[in-house]
Amino acid sequence: MIRSKRGETDPYRKQLKSDCESLLGRFQKTESVRFQVFSEIWRESNFTHIFYGAVKHEKRAFSRRVLDLAYSYFLPPLTFQIRVGGLYLLYSLYRSQTASPPEQIRVALKDWDEVKKFEKDAADAQHLDAVYILRQLRFLKAFHFTAMPTLLAYKKKRKTEKSDLSEEFVERASRPQELINGDLLEELSNIHELYEKMKTSVSLPSEKSVNMIHRSFVPQLRGSVLDFHKWQQNKDETDQDEDCGEGTSSQQECSNRAGLIASIKSKAYGEAAEASKSRRHRQVEVDPTSNESGPSNAPGRSRKTKPSFKARTKEKYLFSGDQLKASSSTTMISHLTSLDPVAAEKVKYFKRFPSK
Amino acid sequence: MAASGGSTTSNTNIPEYEYSDVNTKPFHIGGFRSEWLSRLTPDDYSYQPEEEDTFDANFAKEHGVSAETMAELKSVCSIDSLRCHPEDEQPDPEVVPPNPTLQTLIERKKKQDYKASRKITKNRHDLYANELERLTYGMKPEAVDDILPEGEVILTVNVYYPASYDKFNYVRPHMTLLMTGSHSLAEFRDAICCVSDLQVCGEFSNTPNIAPDFISKDHYKSAFFYFEGVFYNDMRYPECQDISMTTIEWAKSHNFPSYSQAKMEDTRFMDLNVKVGFPYLYCHQGDCEHLVIITDVRLTHKNDCLDKELYPLLTHKHRVATQKCSVCHIFIGRWFTTNDEFAPSHPCLFCDKCFRTLHYNEDGYKLGDFLAYPYVDRGAFN
Ligand SMILES: [Zn+2]
Ligand SMILES: [Zn+2]
Repeated sequence: MIRSKRGETDPYRKQLKSDCESLLGRFQKTESVRFQVFSEIWRESNFTHIFYGAVKHEKRAFSRRVLDLAYSYFLPPLTFQIRVGGLYLLYSLYRSQTASPPEQIRVALKDWDEVKKFEKDAADAQHLDAVYILRQLRFLKAFHFTAMPTLLAYKKKRKTEKSDLSEEFVERASRPQELINGDLLEELSNIHELYEKMKTSVSLPSEKSVNMIHRSFVPQLRGSVLDFHKWQQNKDETDQDEDCGEGTSSQQECSNRAGLIASIKSKAYGEAAEASKSRRHRQVEVDPTSNESGPSNAPGRSRKTKPSFKARTKEKYLFSGDQLKASSSTTMISHLTSLDPVAAEKVKYFKRFPSK
Repeated sequence: MAASGGSTTSNTNIPEYEYSDVNTKPFHIGGFRSEWLSRLTPDDYSYQPEEEDTFDANFAKEHGVSAETMAELKSVCSIDSLRCHPEDEQPDPEVVPPNPTLQTLIERKKKQDYKASRKITKNRHDLYANELERLTYGMKPEAVDDILPEGEVILTVNVYYPASYDKFNYVRPHMTLLMTGSHSLAEFRDAICCVSDLQVCGEFSNTPNIAPDFISKDHYKSAFFYFEGVFYNDMRYPECQDISMTTIEWAKSHNFPSYSQAKMEDTRFMDLNVKVGFPYLYCHQGDCEHLVIITDVRLTHKNDCLDKELYPLLTHKHRVATQKCSVCHIFIGRWFTTNDEFAPSHPCLFCDKCFRTLHYNEDGYKLGDFLAYPYVDRGAFN
């Protein structure tokens, strides 16, 4: 276990965090999930040297610290791409450490299902290098299967640290968009309609209670989610030129119930109604027709699509930066206002990997 | 025997934080183990290495990749791809490389330069900090029967020394033991060393030779652990008393949540409901109280000490400064005296040799009118 000197509970924490995050930040910029890309950045930053110079009795404690830190990049709520980077970082650190015998990677029981889900997402998207590296770690018996990610000795933090997660690595909240989707709105407006009829049938037409019904409930809900999305986009300083005209006027446009129903019925909301059943079961199936040489569908909530490892091996490792920057996929919410068959196709991919 | 005391047993044995980064909610150790085993393949926790060819073949088959692709994959992900120097140059991993750019290395260099400039010598405790554990890494028993079963759990338990309020440091003095899930709490008790178990009671100035046989562990055998609403009493010997009864009855009469009792010797760690990271209690010698914190629970690993016989395994022992003899200042104090005309202070501490030389003549005859009490130094266990 880690012993530390009085008052110095975690030496190097700030520096380690900064080093790891600058490495992952560079990896993020490449928009790639390839290990080859990662290892190039690793070599360029001489990251193996991070272990060099640690004196004998520090080695184990240092390995422990850096592995614990790297583990935190491998878990939600970080984006799929950063999690891949976190996995590569864990693997590379584990293999480069100078402590002997090596310190193990601690994986907590509560996180294991996320690890398995990650593996499945990566496998479904044919990111074979990511799957291979995760399997290698198991093969090397690099894991300690633990109760908690770190040892707990009832030490309360003397200083409350700010949230440890680097903001740009965190998956943007998309729960509102995921929850308030086309299906839900459709169902909601149907129920709303039924409810309205029931209310009307049990009361006199002149009675005021009918007004208790929030007439524009569904459009308003939709509008709020759109607003949230817009706000999020602006916060991210993401250019929203194309959608702007339509988007900003969304609320007034949508308050028109007829228009809303029409848009709900349209394909812009994603899949056809008959597909919705299977989706409710949240099954992830492998699409046998998926084109191996084309950009593969990104797993999880990743917004980028990248060529699969397999695709690349077929192309005999002809790498170029452009190739990795495959067309960026879009979030589902943007289709609430735009009709685009290609985009709708991507929505399908997106939905095939529901989060949680 | 499952402990179901004051706190409600959660129906999941997947540990979750109760307070983030501090302690977990209660869970059942045996249940936790089952949860892990149900999620893993035996290969994951086996002590035997898996064949690389088998691994490759399985991977290729599962993901439908050709031998060629598999070879590429292996080469791309190889350890060579992480090498940060030309193949024929191996820099010295014992020194910080020149002109580092990583923040960690810049900081490490700074610390080392500072230490060098101040000529700070390395602390003996730092040097030996992990020695105890390192000695037993991957150690295998001679007899096959003595090997720790694969998939067994190992618990890391800290036992803290009774609080001494005058010396409160960030690092509270404690010992760390590795226990296995099949250890009973009685075995745990026997592994805890506390000076009060060895304290010799009484005045022995007339018979200094018989004193060391008369230690208190033999006299006061009662003890208990307290975990999650249950008192676990040591009832192995006829003279043991259920010393938790007083507390239980007091709690009952004051409308506290009811506590229950169980026997230490009948309870294995596997049977416990506990919170990891949470302070519990060990009480012995009537009033010597120690905090007990289970800091970690995990499955065994091939690099662990695999010899069952070496558990409970002591991995850390706090080193306390020893009280030296006030005459020679070399040896650890073994006696303290009062009413002592030979002593520079009252009371005064002596090593065995100085004590006897000063207080008895060559025939062992007591000189003077002093009182002598055997003394066991806390640091004597170092
Ligand atoms: Zn004690
Ligand atoms: Zn002496």
